[in-house]
Amino acid sequence: MFSFTKEQEILEISGTKIGGQPGVYPTVLFGGMFFKGEPDCETAEKYLNNMLDLSKRTGNPAIPDFFIRKEEYIEEITNFIERVLPENQPFSIDVTDPQVKVRILECLHEKNFLSRTIYNSIHVGITDEEREALTKYTPEMAIIVAFNPKDKSPDGKIEVLENGAHLTDIGLLDISKNLGIKKILIDTAALAPGDNTGAAIAAIPVIKEEYGLPTGCAIHNVVEKSKWLNDFESARKTVDASSNVNISLFGGDFAIFGPIGNADIVFPTVAWQDILISEYTENYFGISPDEHHPRRKLF
Amino acid sequence: MNNKIKTCVIGSYPVLTDAMELMNGYFNGKEIPWDKYIQYAVSDMVNAGLDIVSDGQTRDPFIQIFTRKLKGCRIRARTEIIGKVEYNAPITIKDQKYARSLIPDDKELTGVLTGPYTLSKSCIDLYYNDEKDLAFDFAHALKQEAKVLQKHVDMISIDEPFFSNEIPDYGKELIEIITKDISCPTRLHACGNVSDIISELLEMPVDILSHEFKASPQIFDAFKDYTFPQKICLGVVRSDDTRVESVEEIMDHTKKGMRIFGEKIVQLAPDCGQKLLPRDVAFQKLKNLVKVGEKING
Repeated sequence: MFSFTKEQEILEISGTKIGGQPGVYPTVLFGGMFFKGEPDCETAEKYLNNMLDLSKRTGNPAIPDFFIRKEEYIEEITNFIERVLPENQPFSIDVTDPQVKVRILECLHEKNFLSRTIYNSIHVGITDEEREALTKYTPEMAIIVAFNPKDKSPDGKIEVLENGAHLTDIGLLDISKNLGIKKILIDTAALAPGDNTGAAIAAIPVIKEEYGLPTGCAIHNVVEKSKWLNDFESARKTVDASSNVNISLFGGDFAIFGPIGNADIVFPTVAWQDILISEYTENYFGISPDEHHPRRKLF
Repeated sequence: MNNKIKTCVIGSYPVLTDAMELMNGYFNGKEIPWDKYIQYAVSDMVNAGLDIVSDGQTRDPFIQIFTRKLKGCRIRARTEIIGKVEYNAPITIKDQKYARSLIPDDKELTGVLTGPYTLSKSCIDLYYNDEKDLAFDFAHALKQEAKVLQKHVDMISIDEPFFSNEIPDYGKELIEIITKDISCPTRLHACGNVSDIISELLEMPVDILSHEFKASPQIFDAFKDYTFPQKICLGVVRSDDTRVESVEEIMDHTKKGMRIFGEKIVQLAPDCGQKLLPRDVAFQKLKNLVKVGEKING
């Protein structure tokens, strides 16, 4: 049970709040869509509606996280966003290819979506073209992935935020601010099993205490890559979903929880953890949960 | 050492890191090996024709190479000292062994240690509140590295740029901790204009002194008043200027050095580490430096 001494930023995107002291706002849950590449919009719509319904029932905000692997998928996915997503629903775009990143930013600007967009992500691999595009078409919010190939400890993650670990000209925080991005989330970069995995969780309170920025991670990535879990296949989904409670338990603000199909388990699991955190932070620190917090659903 | 003047580097060499490749490694859960960057640096040095090469110090700036691996240090915006500084495990050995595997048998390899005084002055001390104690603990930790390093390299060079600002009264002791009983030749590199501290530098227990004679030619005059046991590594091309010095210019500079130092000159090198130069410029400077070495050695 803890509270941060550093003042915590509470960021808002299209009505969804993220950040703050533990126990105030519920954990924001990012559900991944189109992992496999080619968009299957019919199935995606069902999963999306289910996730949005779970969000309403639990109180945990949902963010659809759209994987866009190729330029040719951009049109179909942005049409999907336009057609299916509720008008004020924020979403994130999860792109690794720098060229696709540039193109999707242009497209989001053309469709007037940037005020609802969480850009996933800025990291040490940022290119000059990407910087140019982000300056021109600045999304409302961006996630910085604090992956430091030189040092995977919590301090290494701070190093990359501060100075890019000398892989970029300046630190990732300054890069993002210089691009005009005002709302920044920190992803603590969960690593492969056995590769300092716990550091992604340990880094959450360290980074929140250092910067007061909303922080979280994609701990699902670790579970997904675990070979050890091959011996316990029936437990994999449970382990996957329950791993996310570490994020809120350590004061984190968001979980990028993997495929949207896992939402049925993830939402109630994380909501339950948020309720427990809210109870003890209110009892001990006098912190009241937000009116949409899952604990309000119990009253 | 024989009478041949050997061409060499001070330590660092520029390489362009592919950060996107490192990120793709993260996204795909695969560790991207660093070896290729060492290979770029070493192959450039070998192809330039140097007699003594380094591993290029490609991984990190010269402070972080050491503080990243020593106990008591943590790196955030800068290195912070949060506990007693102690040796944990070999720091540069893996890269040196790899560099050795890349070079022909007739080439030599230098190990490079960032000096204890420079390390102590470059960190934010949150633990000792005593600069001297911190510097001595760095020296003892570096000694451990030197003891391992001597088995894998032909020379150990200690890089102490902060000596050009001031040499503390315990500066000699710091260097002595590292060089005592080390079996391979040792070199102390102090860059900047060291004219005012020559007498203190000459007290240093090392085999070779290395300075920026090209950028600070007044150092030549400062040495004239002294006799000393150390040999000289002559800086002959600038490391802070992208202009590539011609062979003739380097030759003139070298001959000036030979007139003053005679056979004490055993190495020709860039003034300092080349990390901040564009790679093609750094390479061309080394090539011209080597041409001068070849002419002088006949």
